[in-house]
Amino acid sequence: MKGLFKSKPRTPADIVRHTRELLIYVDLNSNSRDTKREEKMAELCKNIRELKSVLYGNSESEPVAEACAQLTQEFFRENTLRLLIVCLPKLNLEARKDATQVVANLQRQQVHSRLIASDYLEANKDLLDLLISGYEDMDIALHYGAMLRECIRHQSIARYVLESEHMKKFFDYIQLPNFDIASDASATFKELLTRHKSTVAEFLARNYDWFFTEFNSRLLSSPNYITRRQAIKLLGDMLLDRSNSAVMIRYVSSKDNLMILMNLLRESSKNIQIEAFHVFKLFAANQNKPLEITSILVTNKDKLLRFLKDFKIDKEDEQFEADKAQVVKEIQALKKENTS
Amino acid sequence: MYPLDAKCYRLLYEVGSGVSAVVYKAVCLPPMDSSVVAIKSIDLERSRANLDDVRREAKAMALLSHPNVLRAHCSFTVDRHLWVVMPFMAAGSLQSIISSSFPDGLPESSIAVVLREILHALSYLHGQGHIHRDIKAGNILVDSDGSVKLADFGVSASIYESHPSSSVSLYMSSSSSSFFNDMAGTPYWMAPEVIHSHMGYGIKADIWSFGITALELAHGRPPLSHLPLSKSLMMKITNRLRLEEHGRDSTGGGNCKNKKKFSKAFKDMVAACLCRDPSKRPSADKLLRHPFFKNCKSTDYFVKNVLQAVPVVEERCKEPRVADCNGNDRDGSTSPLVKSRRVSGWNFNEDVFELDPVYPVESDDKCVRFGGEEPIDQPTAHPHSHVVDDDKSGNEADEKENHRRHHNHSRAEEKEVAKKAGEAPLSVLKQTLVPNLVSLLSSLDLQRGMVMDVLSHCGCKDGQQESLREQQLWGYVRSMQQTVDDLKLQLLREMKVNAELQERLGPLNRKMNEETGGHTGS
Repeated sequence: MKGLFKSKPRTPADIVRHTRELLIYVDLNSNSRDTKREEKMAELCKNIRELKSVLYGNSESEPVAEACAQLTQEFFRENTLRLLIVCLPKLNLEARKDATQVVANLQRQQVHSRLIASDYLEANKDLLDLLISGYEDMDIALHYGAMLRECIRHQSIARYVLESEHMKKFFDYIQLPNFDIASDASATFKELLTRHKSTVAEFLARNYDWFFTEFNSRLLSSPNYITRRQAIKLLGDMLLDRSNSAVMIRYVSSKDNLMILMNLLRESSKNIQIEAFHVFKLFAANQNKPLEITSILVTNKDKLLRFLKDFKIDKEDEQFEADKAQVVKEIQALKKENTS
Repeated sequence: MYPLDAKCYRLLYEVGSGVSAVVYKAVCLPPMDSSVVAIKSIDLERSRANLDDVRREAKAMALLSHPNVLRAHCSFTVDRHLWVVMPFMAAGSLQSIISSSFPDGLPESSIAVVLREILHALSYLHGQGHIHRDIKAGNILVDSDGSVKLADFGVSASIYESHPSSSVSLYMSSSSSSFFNDMAGTPYWMAPEVIHSHMGYGIKADIWSFGITALELAHGRPPLSHLPLSKSLMMKITNRLRLEEHGRDSTGGGNCKNKKKFSKAFKDMVAACLCRDPSKRPSADKLLRHPFFKNCKSTDYFVKNVLQAVPVVEERCKEPRVADCNGNDRDGSTSPLVKSRRVSGWNFNEDVFELDPVYPVESDDKCVRFGGEEPIDQPTAHPHSHVVDDDKSGNEADEKENHRRHHNHSRAEEKEVAKKAGEAPLSVLKQTLVPNLVSLLSSLDLQRGMVMDVLSHCGCKDGQQESLREQQLWGYVRSMQQTVDDLKLQLLREMKVNAELQERLGPLNRKMNEETGGHTGS
């Protein structure tokens, strides 16, 4: 170890402590524009870069586990993460990117085989509120967004965000006009709703009504092409996940949902049609179709069969063809029931 | 701050288009500042890239800030299109500049200017843990003031289109994932380790592409671009491409007048970039200290010596078949057909071959050198017809005999050619090699037939004639399929051999020239 730090007299913990002092200074003297602050600022940026190179390595060396652990431990021993997040808007672009990468990396660092970042965040959940609010500020949205996505790798943190009022805000964020920010928000939204299976299943079961009402009306029926396309893909991912089977059964038993899906099938966008089919097939395959579902399918039987007959995807896909054959079979079978 | 609404822009005219993207020159309407911008409109429905990739790329582009890196002002969706609003680079891409006014390449002093700018960009990107993965003249944009920017980080739909089979993410997101296993980039510029995609690759892949780009600027086209795509790829994978050797070759014997075309520093710089071992390639920072850039002129020099000779980008865009305006890669090998059409307009029989990669054979004693110069554009047509003919002729014993004869014959011929280096045109080699391969094929067929016979005889002992005959028939069907497969394989090998031969022509011709030069001297 001694040899390793010969060229760098400061230990990783030293760098963290120095960074923290500088952050406190910058935070307190936010308005002064004197040269001293400028100097401190430059020093801070340099320190953040050094933190990054300890965690990620640099062109000369790979990261060293022991150094990373030291850094992580010192970082979370005090409020460095809070200071860094709060001061981020004051940093220049390069330092913001470095800080984001540092925070992202720290979420995965284990100290004595514990993710201490998770413990810290659980005790400081208001930081997540701060990160989420970043979507309202174009300047910092991409940095806070990237940090947020790393933080919700921790299941307990994802649960906190899912169950917070913030979930409703995502329906706005993912339709922001700025593509970079909107797509970052929708990546986070997707991560929240797909990453931690049991937590997601629990969330959807408990919040079924408002969530799918919003999802249907604001996302699947959005006038915005990209919103619809991303939403229908996410819906398929959610409903086709085994852990969400209870939610799926509930979803495919609703006439309103079926109508939305059938409208999406009629879209001129092939991408949307295909994703819609993957959800539509669940309605058709449901062995306990409610009467209202059966009746819609029967009423539109000819049209549906004609549609499915012509419905092809560009590349060969056996699974798709098999699914389609199954759906056709189910819909054809409905006729017999009806006439008998 | 640029507005995030299509209504705030007026599209003036198209400056480039690809399969799923169009680039327009546009103005931002008052009350904004009515500044000129380029808008790349990507059809998200037609683009095969998935939206996550598009998101990652857009984000990467939004967070980069360097004078030599093209940064998007903003991006927003307009129905099914993603509009990326960027600075308008009035002189277009280097590729477009070359193809309109410098078909034989740029002068070396001008090359140095742009390459230095690109190295600054690469140094920044690599320092950020980013890999560009598609460095080429088509992605280097120039403004009328001579500023040079590296473009096309990912939101480039044309790139997605060129490799539909792979999930292409041009631009990596963080240094934590600096290795990729997907293929990305445009094949002629691709480094061997990118093609050996299982190995993953790092920033040194960009250095390779940078070296190829240097050659592209020098010659007006990338090396190997006269070959169809698959072949160029295959050659890189199967051959031991050792350009450091080549570098020695071309700098060693300076007799030939062709060789004066490029300075030693330039050749040395390119050879360093094209080192097969990525770890031996210099970094962008190190390259900036290379002697080639020592007395590098300013961008003003580039404006005076290059841009003034080039028609404005509008003019170039009006011409049909002019590829690549404003970084939009339309020539980018969307299909080999398009590529060869573009390439066929150029003259191959030139000294410009000089810097093309050399493929030494594995062991030196076997190193047969060929001479003559008759590049073949369609080497596949020939073997094909031969194969068909020979398939029809049923005299297998004869074929076998032929095969043996051909084999010896061709070996003798090879030696002869080696001796007379320069006198035998490649077509002769082709004539000997093709029948040789064809007869090899038929002999394989014959053997297969014999095996099948033996098998069926053995089977007959069991007495179950009916089912046996059926099995036999199936066996034949299978062997036919096998034959077809073998033929395909042979064809590929033949193509490869041809390509190799072509590559060997260059150095041999040089050697021959030296020899004849020596003769006349003595």
